[in-house]
Amino acid sequence: MTSTLTQTAPGRPAPRAGGGASRRTKRSGPRRVSPLILAFVLVPFAIEAVWVFWPALQGFWLALTNWDGLSAPSFVGFGNFSDMVSDPIFRTALKNTAIWLVLFGGLSVIGGFGMALLLQRERRGVGIYRAALFTPVVFSLVVTALIWRVFYQPDGLVDTVFRSVGLGNFVRPWLADPDTALYAVILPALWRQIGYVMVLYLAGLKAVDPALYEAAKVDGASAWQRTRFVTIPQLKGVNSVVLSVIVIDSLRSFDIVWSMTKGGPYHSSELLSTYMYSTAFQSTQLGYASALAVVIFLLALAVILGYLIRAFRDET
Amino acid sequence: MTGLAADRRTFLKGLGLLGAAALVPGCATSTSSPGSGSAATGELSLQSNLSSEQAKAAMEKVVAAYNKTGGSQVKLNTVAAEIFRTQLPTYLTSANPPDVYTWYAGSVADSYAKKDLLLDVSSVWDSMTNYPKSMQTLSTSSAGQKIFVPTSYYWWGMFYRKSNFAKWGVTPPKTWAEFVQVCKTIQSKGIPPIGIGLGDTPWVASAWFDYLNIRINGAPFHRQLLAGQGDFTDPKVKAVFTKWREVLPYFDPKGKSFPFQEATSALLAGKTGMFLIGTFFADSAPKDALDDIDFFQFPIIDPAVPVAEEAPTDGYFASKKAKDPDGVKKLMTWLATAEAQEIYVQSSSGTAIPANPDGKSADTPLVKKGKAMIEGAAELTQFFNRDSSDALQPTADAALTKFLDKPDQIDQILKTWQTAAEKVFKA
Repeated sequence: MTSTLTQTAPGRPAPRAGGGASRRTKRSGPRRVSPLILAFVLVPFAIEAVWVFWPALQGFWLALTNWDGLSAPSFVGFGNFSDMVSDPIFRTALKNTAIWLVLFGGLSVIGGFGMALLLQRERRGVGIYRAALFTPVVFSLVVTALIWRVFYQPDGLVDTVFRSVGLGNFVRPWLADPDTALYAVILPALWRQIGYVMVLYLAGLKAVDPALYEAAKVDGASAWQRTRFVTIPQLKGVNSVVLSVIVIDSLRSFDIVWSMTKGGPYHSSELLSTYMYSTAFQSTQLGYASALAVVIFLLALAVILGYLIRAFRDET
Repeated sequence: MTGLAADRRTFLKGLGLLGAAALVPGCATSTSSPGSGSAATGELSLQSNLSSEQAKAAMEKVVAAYNKTGGSQVKLNTVAAEIFRTQLPTYLTSANPPDVYTWYAGSVADSYAKKDLLLDVSSVWDSMTNYPKSMQTLSTSSAGQKIFVPTSYYWWGMFYRKSNFAKWGVTPPKTWAEFVQVCKTIQSKGIPPIGIGLGDTPWVASAWFDYLNIRINGAPFHRQLLAGQGDFTDPKVKAVFTKWREVLPYFDPKGKSFPFQEATSALLAGKTGMFLIGTFFADSAPKDALDDIDFFQFPIIDPAVPVAEEAPTDGYFASKKAKDPDGVKKLMTWLATAEAQEIYVQSSSGTAIPANPDGKSADTPLVKKGKAMIEGAAELTQFFNRDSSDALQPTADAALTKFLDKPDQIDQILKTWQTAAEKVFKA
C-alpha cells in the first residue's frame, strides 16, 4: 500500500527510500522530538525492561544452569539441552505440540473459513447462528474445560450419546486414556477457536468488493472458481492475521490442557508448555524448565520469522 | 537540535548499560545474606497454607488465642495451598521472610534444613518431653537439630460403609488372602470392590505403593528408597507391583477419570466397595453419611515385617532469618501445648489428632480407632511426597498411573521411573 502511494505521488519526498542524508537536505534540520513523546516511549520501555526483558534474559541464563529455586544455580552449559535429546517426555511433548499445531491450527482455519462462507450472506436469522458460533469465545478457557470435563466424565453426555447410537463399545475414559486424551482436549479448544477464526474471516469477506464477483460471474466463473480465484486471494491480509493468531495460540495453549488433564495420564497429553510448567513448579527443576522455555521461544520465533520474511518479500 | 540528539544518544547508551547489567548472570537468583531485617518489632508473621474454609477459621481462632496470652502479636497470612507449596522456597530464601510456616514433618522439612534455611528450635523441645520418640525423629534434621514442631496428624485406612459390608455379607479382612476374598465377594455382587480417584489427583495411587512397600519390604527400606538410596528397578520394588497386580482386576475402572472427591461420593453412594484414603476425605463428605463409615487397617502381607502405618504429621517450622527468634520459639512452645492443639482440632473438620499425647481428639469411634491403630504401629511413615520430596511425587504419579493402565510394561515403567528419579535427586 505504501509503495503504491509513493508511486502515485512522485512530487513528494519518498519517506522510506530517501534515507537520512536526503532528508536533511530537504528539511531545515533534524526533526525535533518533544520530551513528552520521548517520555511516552521511554517510560513504558523502562518498565518493560524491568518486568519483561530482564526476566526473559534471566530465563536464557537459567537455561544453562541446574537450579532448584533454593540454592544458588550451578552452571551446566548446554547440559539441559543435551538432556532433552534423551528425554522421552520431551519427545512426547514435542510430538504433541506438532499434532496440536496441525490439528488445532488446521481445523480451526478450515472450520472457521467454512463457517464464514456459510454465514456471510445476510439471511433471516443468520445473526443467531453467528452469535451461537461465537459464544464459546466469550467463555474463559478454564470454564470451557470444566464444561467439557462434565461431558467426558464416566456415564456423562459423551458416553450416553455413544451408547444411544449403539457405539457403546467405543466408550472409554476419554481424558484418562492415553490414546484419546490429547484429542479429547483438542476438541473443546477447536470448539472455541472456530468461532474466533470465523469472525476474523467474516470481517475479511465483508471487505471483498462485490464488483469482483460480478465480473467473475460475467466471465462465466463457477461458484468454486469464484471462491478459489476471487475470495481466497482477496483474503490474503486476513490470512496473515489468522496465521499468526493460530500459531501463537497453539504454542501458548496451556490453560485448557492443564485444567483438563494436567498433561496426563502419564504425560500422554503433555504439550511443551504444560511440560515446562510442571518441570518448573512441580519438579522444581527450574534450569531444565527454562531450557524448555527457550525451545518454545525459538520455535515460535522460527515460525513467525519465517512468516514475516515471506510477507516482507512479497511486499517488496 | 543537536543537543537533544546527543542527549538521546547518551540516554540510549545508559539504557544499553542497564541492559548489560541485567545480563550479569544470577542477579535475581543469588541468595542474599541473612539478618537484614530490623530488630524485634513485637509482631510475628505466620504463613499458613490451611486455606480450606474450616481450617482457616480454626487457624484464626488459634492465633487469636495466642495473641491474648501477651508477648508478640501474631499476624496470620493464609495463602492458597497450591500457591504456598510452589512459593515456599521463595519465601524462605527471600531477604525478609515471614517468621513461622505451616508445613509437614519428615524428609520434606529436612530438605530445607539441609539448605540451612530453618531455625533450630531444640529449646522448644525442652518443654515437649511427653511427645513420643517417633515425633522427635520426624522433627530432627539430618544434622541432628530439632527444626520442626508437630501439632497434629491423621491416618490412612481402607474406608467402607458399614451398612454395605453387612448387605454384601463381608467382614473387614486382616490378611492379604482375606482381602482378596472380600474383593471377589463384592465383585460377585456387581460392584467394583476397590475405589480410587486418579483424575486430577493421581497422587492417591501413591498410598497403594507406600502401603504395599511397607508391608512387603518394611518401612526402613521404603524410606531409603524414597531418599534416593535405593533403586526403583530393584527386584524388591518389583515384588510390590507383582502383589498389586493380584488385585488390579478389582479396581473401579472409572476411578481413572475422576478425582478423589468423586471417588468419595462413589464410595458413599455404594458404587464402590472400599477406598484407601486419608481422613481428609471426610471434608468432602456429608456429615450424616460419616456415621456409617468405618475403616480397616491395610491388610498384613508378611507377618514377619514390623507393622508400619502412614501417619502424615503437620506442624510448624520457622525461618532461620526470623527477626525475633525468642518470640518465635515462645509461639512455637505454645503451639506445642495440648491447649493450643485442641483449639485447632475442635474448630477444624475433626479428623485430625493432636500431636501432643495429652491433647484430646474428637470423641468419635472412628477417631479413637484411628488413634489406636497409629499408637500400636511399630513404625510410622508420612506419605510418598513427605518421605521424599514434592519434586519426586510427579515421577511416582506417572509411573503408578501407567502401571494401573499397562501392568504388562512394569519393567519398562520402573526403568523410566528410576531415570526420572535420578534427575530429581541430582537437581
